[in-house]
Amino acid sequence: MTTWAVRAARAADDGDDPIEIDIEPGTDSLTSGGPRVTVGESTPATRGRGAIVEIVVDGWRFELEVEEASRARLRAGATADERRHRADAGDELRAIIPGRVVAVSVSAGDRVVVGQPLLVVEAMKMQNELRSPRDGIVVQLAVGPGQTIELGDLLAVIAEATDAP
Amino acid sequence: MRKDDPDPEPSLRADPPFRRILIANRGEIAIRVLRTCRDLGMQAVTVFSDIDAGAPWVREADAAVRLGPAPAAQSYLRGDAIVRAALDTGAEAIHPGYGFLSERAAFAAAVASAGLVFVGPPADAIAALGDKLAARRTASAAGVPVVPGSMEPLPADAPSDVDQVVRLADEIGFPLLVKAAAGGGGRGMRRVEDRPELVAALAAGAAEAASAFGDGRVYLERELRPARHIEVQLLGDATGEVVAIGERDCSIQRRHQKLVEEAPAPGLGPDERRTLFELAVKAATAAGLRNAATAEFLRDADGRFWFLEVNARLQVEHGVTELVTGLDLVREQFLLAAGRRLSPEVHAAARAAVRPVRHAIEVRLSAEDPARAFVPVPGTIGHWRMPSGPGVRVDTAIAAGDRVPPDYDPLIAKVMADGEDRQRAIARLARGLAEIEVSGIQTTLPFHLALVRDGHFLGAELSTDFVAEHWDGPVRQAAARADAVVAAARHAAAGRSRSRAPGRWTVSVRKDAADSSAWKDAALAESTDRWPEPPPP
Repeated sequence: MTTWAVRAARAADDGDDPIEIDIEPGTDSLTSGGPRVTVGESTPATRGRGAIVEIVVDGWRFELEVEEASRARLRAGATADERRHRADAGDELRAIIPGRVVAVSVSAGDRVVVGQPLLVVEAMKMQNELRSPRDGIVVQLAVGPGQTIELGDLLAVIAEATDAP
Repeated sequence: MRKDDPDPEPSLRADPPFRRILIANRGEIAIRVLRTCRDLGMQAVTVFSDIDAGAPWVREADAAVRLGPAPAAQSYLRGDAIVRAALDTGAEAIHPGYGFLSERAAFAAAVASAGLVFVGPPADAIAALGDKLAARRTASAAGVPVVPGSMEPLPADAPSDVDQVVRLADEIGFPLLVKAAAGGGGRGMRRVEDRPELVAALAAGAAEAASAFGDGRVYLERELRPARHIEVQLLGDATGEVVAIGERDCSIQRRHQKLVEEAPAPGLGPDERRTLFELAVKAATAAGLRNAATAEFLRDADGRFWFLEVNARLQVEHGVTELVTGLDLVREQFLLAAGRRLSPEVHAAARAAVRPVRHAIEVRLSAEDPARAFVPVPGTIGHWRMPSGPGVRVDTAIAAGDRVPPDYDPLIAKVMADGEDRQRAIARLARGLAEIEVSGIQTTLPFHLALVRDGHFLGAELSTDFVAEHWDGPVRQAAARADAVVAAARHAAAGRSRSRAPGRWTVSVRKDAADSSAWKDAALAESTDRWPEPPPP
């Protein structure tokens, strides 16, 4: 836990869109008269998101997500891709993080329901379960156990079940 | 020192008022009472609910008794279990603190009939003062001006009585307040702007009062605005003598609950103070008060005092009076409960009270969000640093890593500062507040930090509308958020600087983790329900 003094505020943000700030490491200096800033708990970056930092400014408590801008843009792009694909065909699942597939719990042709675990991706020593976003049939399984995947790689395709169960 | 003027403390320690006390409360007030027990050489037994096992007042007591599960009704409100615990552990007296059982006449009576001493006013005085309507009648009969309103419970049920109630309300004048006869803590209270809202407010107030107190009687009071809330600390002994030892200004409130208290009330002169003390003593004497109590008044824009009620117990904010008078009010409570006369120290404080020579201010640090109408936000404390140093006193039972449970009051610390005058007390308070570091939960600290820099507060422009008129929580939070974004980026950059070149970082503000709490949702509903003004968006 450290207490810093930070210089005057930038423009206030108010939304989920991240704000990009240029930071030159090593230029921090203690300035008097600024707000009192306490840095509390920090959790390291995990799959799909940046590090979480608790910051208390003049008694106001915030939890902030911090990550490198280049990485955040890549991830935002992948998420948008995923959403677009899902909206278009509603059936392509793509990797939103790079990592390694450690388990696959469905096979091509399986009927799945929304929320059903499909596969597990390990990234940064964290296991992350990927669940089906919808009811349907696994028409394609693009990866297998042990396979390394990159951001945006196709993992599986879920299509609408054509017959009644 | 003369031989016939022995130092009172050693003799008191050799002959304490009681040998063993049971403290029927939790949190900072349990610690507060326990400390005086230690000062007087008395043993202390404490009680706890399951969620409080291992708490400081449990660890530091000579014995501690489990009462039951966390909900107050199954633990700290179980008068029977508490009396049994006192008997089982050989306690001679029970100190109820404030809240919980402190103003329940039936509990005080049960303690007495078990052969134990209740450290507080006698049961009949608690009953007489706990019924706000009876207290209004008693004070009025004693010649004390009461806030204009009805003196009898309203007939709220029969439709034929509606005309009568409306006529009465017209006589009192709008806007007015519907209040519960058994009231306290703003429960059963409804603000009525004008006639059309009256009937619905009566029904809602009566229903809330019935569920909170088991007594749905309500009455009407004119809403005095602008007004200051000024209260008088009283002590009384078994001979019936009651003295006033000073007043407090507690105008800065939210939901009709105090946020900031100070003693003396700024701007009162000796004559005005003398008048106020006489009114308070008159009202309390008429009700047969003994031990410690507080008479509450509103002071209107013309400087007139109007009686509100008497709280027949130690108040949360008693500490500021202690700092100004040098008394230990809990010690005086024990001496009075043991049947002693008002002490020479108390008489001296009463004589000095008209011209106080010190000033003290207390802020209540609570687990509440001051950007959202002070809604309670429980959680787990991370880092916890409280101030100290000259002229600063902190009463708390919290330590780093503690949970602030949703089951009880969100008060986590009382931060007090004193000095020769108001200006010096505020300077010390500002210094103390700047030393505070709390992470893990949102607290009222931003409000207090802004308060000690606020021109209206510095100019002693106090009013019960202070929060509504001068507190812009959401605006300040937004400004702080911008600072937090920069700080987070710097923190991240500093962590990476050893291994990486300067980079560009993205910072996004997440929703507060406490947002999903069921307790908070319930409290939000309750607070918006009670909040007299629309809460900020």
